[in-house]
Amino acid sequence: MAAPTATAALSASVYAPGDQMLLTVTYSDADTKPLTVTIVVSDAQGNSSAPVRVTAIIDPLAVTVTDNSGRIWTRVSDNGAVAVYRAVA
Amino acid sequence: MPRVTVQVRDAAGNTATATADYSLSQPVLGGYYLSGGADPTADMAGGNFRSLTQYRSFADGYTFPGYNRPWLVNLGKAGVQMNMVLELKHYGAPDTGPQTFTVDGTSYTVPAPSMTIQQRPGTTWPKAYGYTQVLNGQCDGLFHRALAQYRTLGFAANIQLASEFDTDHEFGTTEAGKAYTWAESDARALQAVNYILTWFKSRTMPAGTTFSIGLGGFDRACFQRTHPEWLMPRLDFLQWNVYATNANDTALSRFRRTKDWAVADLGPVALSRPVIIAEWGVRSAEIPNQAAWIATVPAAVAQLNAERGPRIVRTNYFNSGWGTLSPKPAGLAALRTAYATRPYV
Repeated sequence: MAAPTATAALSASVYAPGDQMLLTVTYSDADTKPLTVTIVVSDAQGNSSAPVRVTAIIDPLAVTVTDNSGRIWTRVSDNGAVAVYRAVA
Repeated sequence: MPRVTVQVRDAAGNTATATADYSLSQPVLGGYYLSGGADPTADMAGGNFRSLTQYRSFADGYTFPGYNRPWLVNLGKAGVQMNMVLELKHYGAPDTGPQTFTVDGTSYTVPAPSMTIQQRPGTTWPKAYGYTQVLNGQCDGLFHRALAQYRTLGFAANIQLASEFDTDHEFGTTEAGKAYTWAESDARALQAVNYILTWFKSRTMPAGTTFSIGLGGFDRACFQRTHPEWLMPRLDFLQWNVYATNANDTALSRFRRTKDWAVADLGPVALSRPVIIAEWGVRSAEIPNQAAWIATVPAAVAQLNAERGPRIVRTNYFNSGWGTLSPKPAGLAALRTAYATRPYV
């Protein structure tokens, strides 16, 4: 299995107390693939059901954010490749 | 330093880790100056005033804390950060002749100031100790006298050399009968500043002593000329003054003007220095509602500090001259409210 990769970037290096802080996490893993399974049920007479689709992700990634100053980071968005977190300085 | 750590983990337990460091700035110090160098204690009491500008001439026999100014010691010991503007300019009283005095057992005779500055046509040109006089060591006694008094204060100050070199030099200077252009005066002043810095830094000073040079900040070329990279390692702050004198002036535009020039024109050492706004003010003639303008200052300073470039760390309201608060109660109340607002808290 491939190892994941991650980068972290803050919106600034210095914050004034009370400022909004944004953290952008970019992550990926070569094994991580979205998968769609489409199921059609057919009988002997040749009747087919409408197709049913289910999606799955192979080797999904879990992102955790910790802060050594105890600041709480809240996820604002995550599209599977880029996640944005917010905290208050 | 605070650090945020990101861990990405896949289903098999493989992980990737990334970190990002950040720091938190201290609140900006809200500060004050009261006309005539008068005791500001009553105006500051109960408000979040943490910084003060004061002006002294090296010619004055009472540089620190100043003649009849015991309150300065009290405020300093209470933690108010002092920006002491020390000037070669002679304030004109009681006389501008030579002085003889003794400091720590050493007798000095300092000649009369030989330079004129602020040579605006139609005005009386103030006298100042000349840059050549400084370089010749003729003003060493003045520095020694100031240092001896400074050591008795019990706290460290920022020493800002000159109030506004641009104002001093704008119309040229004259020393010992020789005229110098604005640019020539700037260059000569830097040599004198360097001499004074060397003089002080080679002697024992209260721990935490810092230095800066004074500029109004209204002339871009002068601001660039007076902040060369060879000098900036010896200075701890950038400094400029901020006034609103036009009805259309916004706090953001006025506080940003000199900063933008600095970011565009100055070198990396200069830009690594935080900024003291030694004076800021709103002129009531053009902006009668001073309080409303003052209320917009915190957001402007916060925005500028969120942008690239040197951070503004102290802003001292100049309740005198152009900045005179009128009516004072409303202006002072606005100032107190502003200094109770982020980024001042």
